[in-house]
Amino acid sequence: MKRRRRVIKLCVMMPLVMLLTGCWDLTGLDEKVFVIGIGLDKAEEKGKVDITYLIANAEMGSANGASSNEPSSMTITLRASDFISMKNTANSVISREISYDLLRLILVSEELAKEDDFIRFIYSAIKDREVKRTVHLIVSKEKAEDFFDKNKPLFLSRPHKYYVNMLNRGNEIGLIPESLMHHFLRITEADADLFLSAYTTTDIKKTEDKTRADENDSLAGEMRVEGVTNNSQFLGAAVFSEGKMIGTLTGVENRIAMMINDTTEVSDVISVFPDPSNEDYQVSVRVRKKQNTKVNMDLNAEPPQIHVTLPILLDVLTDPPMNNPVESKKKLENIRKGMENYMEGRVKELVQRTQKEFKADPFGWSLYGRKEFKTLKEYMEFDWMKTYPDMKVDVDVSVSLGKFGRQPKAPSYKEIRD
Amino acid sequence: MFKLLKKIAGRKKRLKPDQSKNTLTEQNHQKEQFISAQIEENLDLMNEIYQIPHNGDVKIRELKLGGSGRKAAILFISSIADVRTVEDSAIKPLLANTRENAGIDEIIATQNVTAFSNIKSLVENINLGNAVIFLDGSTKAFTFDCANFQGRSVEKAESEVLIKGSKEALTEKVIVNLSLIRKRIKNENLIAESMTISKRSHNVVYILYIRNLADEKLIANVKKRLASLNVDAIQNLSLLEQYIEDRRLSLFPSLLYTERPDRATSFLEDGHIVLLMDNSPDSIVLPATFWSFFHTAEEHYLRFIFGNFVRVIRMVAMFITIFISAIYISVTTFHTEMIPADLLLAIAGTREKVPFPIFFEILLMEAAFELIREAGLRVPNPMGPTIGIVGALILGQAAVEANIISPIVIIVVALSGLTSFTVSDISLNFALRIIRFLFILSAGVFGIYGMTALFIMGLFYLVSLKSFGVPYLAPMSPHYVSSGDTIFRRVLTHENFRPGYLKPVDIKKKGDGAAK
Amino acid sequence: MKQSEGKIGIRELMAIIMLSVGTKLTDDTPSILYSTAKNSAWMSMLLIGIVSIIPVFFLVKVFSVHKDKNLHQLNIHLFGKFVGNMVSFGLLLFGFTALVLDSATYADIISTMYFTKTPFLPIYLILLIVCGYGAKRGIEHIGSTAWLTIFYLKITLFIALLISFLQGEFKMIYPLWGPGIGEIVKTAGRNISVFADFYYLGLIAPLVSSYKSFKKGTLLAYLIVAIELVIPLIIFVMIFDFTSIEIMQYPFHEMILYISLGFLTNVETIFLPFWLIASFIRFSFYLYLVVLLFGGVFKIKEFEFLIPVIVVLVLFSGLAPKYGEFTIPHLREFFLTTLSPIFFGLPCLMLFIAKVRGDFKHEAAKESH
Repeated sequence: MKRRRRVIKLCVMMPLVMLLTGCWDLTGLDEKVFVIGIGLDKAEEKGKVDITYLIANAEMGSANGASSNEPSSMTITLRASDFISMKNTANSVISREISYDLLRLILVSEELAKEDDFIRFIYSAIKDREVKRTVHLIVSKEKAEDFFDKNKPLFLSRPHKYYVNMLNRGNEIGLIPESLMHHFLRITEADADLFLSAYTTTDIKKTEDKTRADENDSLAGEMRVEGVTNNSQFLGAAVFSEGKMIGTLTGVENRIAMMINDTTEVSDVISVFPDPSNEDYQVSVRVRKKQNTKVNMDLNAEPPQIHVTLPILLDVLTDPPMNNPVESKKKLENIRKGMENYMEGRVKELVQRTQKEFKADPFGWSLYGRKEFKTLKEYMEFDWMKTYPDMKVDVDVSVSLGKFGRQPKAPSYKEIRD
Repeated sequence: MFKLLKKIAGRKKRLKPDQSKNTLTEQNHQKEQFISAQIEENLDLMNEIYQIPHNGDVKIRELKLGGSGRKAAILFISSIADVRTVEDSAIKPLLANTRENAGIDEIIATQNVTAFSNIKSLVENINLGNAVIFLDGSTKAFTFDCANFQGRSVEKAESEVLIKGSKEALTEKVIVNLSLIRKRIKNENLIAESMTISKRSHNVVYILYIRNLADEKLIANVKKRLASLNVDAIQNLSLLEQYIEDRRLSLFPSLLYTERPDRATSFLEDGHIVLLMDNSPDSIVLPATFWSFFHTAEEHYLRFIFGNFVRVIRMVAMFITIFISAIYISVTTFHTEMIPADLLLAIAGTREKVPFPIFFEILLMEAAFELIREAGLRVPNPMGPTIGIVGALILGQAAVEANIISPIVIIVVALSGLTSFTVSDISLNFALRIIRFLFILSAGVFGIYGMTALFIMGLFYLVSLKSFGVPYLAPMSPHYVSSGDTIFRRVLTHENFRPGYLKPVDIKKKGDGAAK
Repeated sequence: MKQSEGKIGIRELMAIIMLSVGTKLTDDTPSILYSTAKNSAWMSMLLIGIVSIIPVFFLVKVFSVHKDKNLHQLNIHLFGKFVGNMVSFGLLLFGFTALVLDSATYADIISTMYFTKTPFLPIYLILLIVCGYGAKRGIEHIGSTAWLTIFYLKITLFIALLISFLQGEFKMIYPLWGPGIGEIVKTAGRNISVFADFYYLGLIAPLVSSYKSFKKGTLLAYLIVAIELVIPLIIFVMIFDFTSIEIMQYPFHEMILYISLGFLTNVETIFLPFWLIASFIRFSFYLYLVVLLFGGVFKIKEFEFLIPVIVVLVLFSGLAPKYGEFTIPHLREFFLTTLSPIFFGLPCLMLFIAKVRGDFKHEAAKESH
């Protein structure tokens, strides 16, 4: 009798429990559509932005032999107030639920990034749980809409791979910064440094380039590229101060900034210096940091002083003059001194530019500065951002030479042409 | 179920009149007699009890004792008695006897002779395969052991297969089983007590334990449980298990079932109790903890590293078999952000054409796999493997081609099915298979939250189970001194203690410094 | 279901303590500390750890002379029947409030971070049903489960913290003294009740296998937990700077959303089940304590049958606040602040009264016989 009652109770409770269970969050994979990139453009109305979605085609490249006529991605542009309400607005055109699980980049047009209001739009990113802090925030010269339209990389079946690889590789060699949303939020809230974000465009110059030592010493779109290849360039950095874009850095300048900053890692840097012994030619070098940057601060002096030492290890990879510097110590010393001077020159230029033009530093020196204070109040009163332009900054580059390529010696030019 | 509904509906159950007669008591009553001095009366009684002309294999050999000329009769059941022994060691000496007043026990040349005077013991003995000698003029009858039941010979173990180690398995004859176990423990304190547990079929259970190791209370408890059974027939250990186990409705078994004598022996040596019965080619070990189901014998026969390697594989396999289908469902429906991007797009791509939701697909495939598995067990031998492979391959392949299920589901289900074979204990195997379905259900309903909730509830449940007073997850959970052999085993020379939860009398297995 | 008054050993005791108090770093306790102590919250925590040893030690000492009493009986013994019952009733109220607020917070975490569309009720209901089941099983089974799982839980926590440490930037904890020593000390003072769980441990003191294990277990677990609570506070600041962390409500979950393991970019789903297991065990324990105390105050012997009633009460109390999102964190802060002085003061008072009553002398006299 008792047992029967128990069984009855169980049988009645079971379906009830089933009823109240969490099928709310249950969505099959074929009911979702994945957004890889979001583009933000300035809209005419106040409080609105033009949002573009770059949506991946799931069937491309799958083993089931999908039809290869379908494009690998699709774009849709709508006007919305932020990209959270856009999820539902877009459903008037897109048939499935929009998911930000694969979101890898947020592309902002330069026009919008220079607006004061930009920061209001971007902060909605922290409200949606699906937008991770590891999303890349990059800036494009033209409208984001046009960028996504025109950017058609080759060898591509999955668009997210292109962007992720490009951003990772570019960051590795230092030509574009690691433009994570996490750092943007942190730096903007800390109110002491500059945030660097990758700069890109599909608007590539087809005319003559001005000459420069390192081809990468320019901004995206200014380096001439010919041939049947990808038609977008990622080069250089957009500089954000307090959440607003105020300028740009070339690829080389960005690389210098990343090397000085200890928190960013550049590993595979191959740079081009003018040959100290012969003006007509340039030498390719692999640049590596031997140790961490040494930063010494004296903030009590008037004006406050920063002394930075950047230890660099250079591998000289080419030798266009073909006069075999390896042979004599004097030649080596010349080369070393020449490169050191050149690097110091460039670094000093960049530091001065940050002090005069941007009025803040992208090198993360405020973190070093913080060590010198005891309480937050003192630090806030000091106001790093205000005092930085007046500081006396001294950068010392100390270069040591490493390897000289696979084969250090090359036949001398004269010997061959005799 | 119907009865329940009828009761709710209010229909009165029509009770059937109790028509059964208790024939067993009548039968027992018949045997409450004593032997009479007249051999004719005894033989008539025997004829009636055994229905002798009808009962074809019960034989009576009437003879006259050589020497004194008194009438005697030998009664035995020819199918279960060793006729050779009866003829050579009993009939022949009786006929060839020359002395006048020699007693039966002095004439016959069998291994033992016992005298009884009540019919009940005589009938018991005859049923056990022994022979009985009646003597005219004597109120005692003599029996001697000559049982010879037919059974299978010692063969290889079928379900618990080892590569390194003995391959003998227990058989249906309990004498042979005892012999196999005594071969491994040559100790006079290995006691094999026998107990009759059923009323009509008189099945005998042998309780084995090592007297100065096993806990007295445990032995008394087991004997009490066996004595309290009131059943007509318990044919073998599988049925006995269900009579004496702690929890009948639980998913987890409380008694261990093994067909290997070496495993039973190692449990005996730790202080457990082993039950043996005729007609069961296996033994029951009690008390049983979760770890005894999880371990196999091979891990101790292999060297330390290899044994632990096998354990790790089995642990991973258990994890996979319970969780993988459930994880697949919860990750693809509730937590899609976890999958790496390429895989996610690939899965999404394959799901474009499939009609069913993932939950249903997985259930379908799991059910199909279980069907194939059950069918594969019963297929006659020559066709067995072929049908298995063909069925699996073709079913899977064709289903994918027809776009009924996506290929990833086949991989997931195949993995979860195959890994369940690593657990060789049959009860645990079934338990895992059923648990897997429960997890699939919970995952389909609430994703990882549901799975974790079910897991914790299961853990709370497991921890509170007891098998003959021993907590199920001992010695890991309530901590006891033990050999430290739960998930990983230790180097054999360091496994110094017997399991403390059995409260053995002597807890140390090895001397200090067992190996230099 | 038979009442199981089994004993728990030192391992199970330590596991329970480490899980109940240790999981406090995964909810909004860090953000309460961060809101006033900013980036030096770890210093506040260290201070709390150092100061709270006093009440805990006193409590253990009082139990050394009353080995077979639990906290409620001790209250009655020391303070007299009326005041003792009042004190226990107050403790019961505080315990119940803590259970409601904490469980509502955790259900909120699951709801906002992981199951965004599911309504609050089913999540909360399942949480409470599972914990009710666990509490019904009894303390020895909660202890066994805690001991079984603690190794794996702590390892995954350690891995998460390690990865965050490697991906973080150490210099962000400067300036060292944050908002100033005064603020740090004030925060510490307001939040001593983080360790108030130790006080409630007195309820299960007689259920531990021996007094020595109770003493050793409690003190050792205290040490471990104190360290365990300080280190993540440092690591959170290392990843999110002091400005971001003030506005973050659940830093631990934000942290596991941020870190990535190689090719697996989103690993929070791996850490989720482990965290859930820890939460389930924690609330089973709390529920058991509340029910135990309830049975003690109202003199109910078979208190295990009260569990379904208490579960329903907690469920409805947790659903009650109209603007749950706002009121619950505020209530928690207020609650923690109120409990702190009580937690600090009561054991001292108890020790004082025990000394005055001469209980220690009694013990010494007993032992010398």
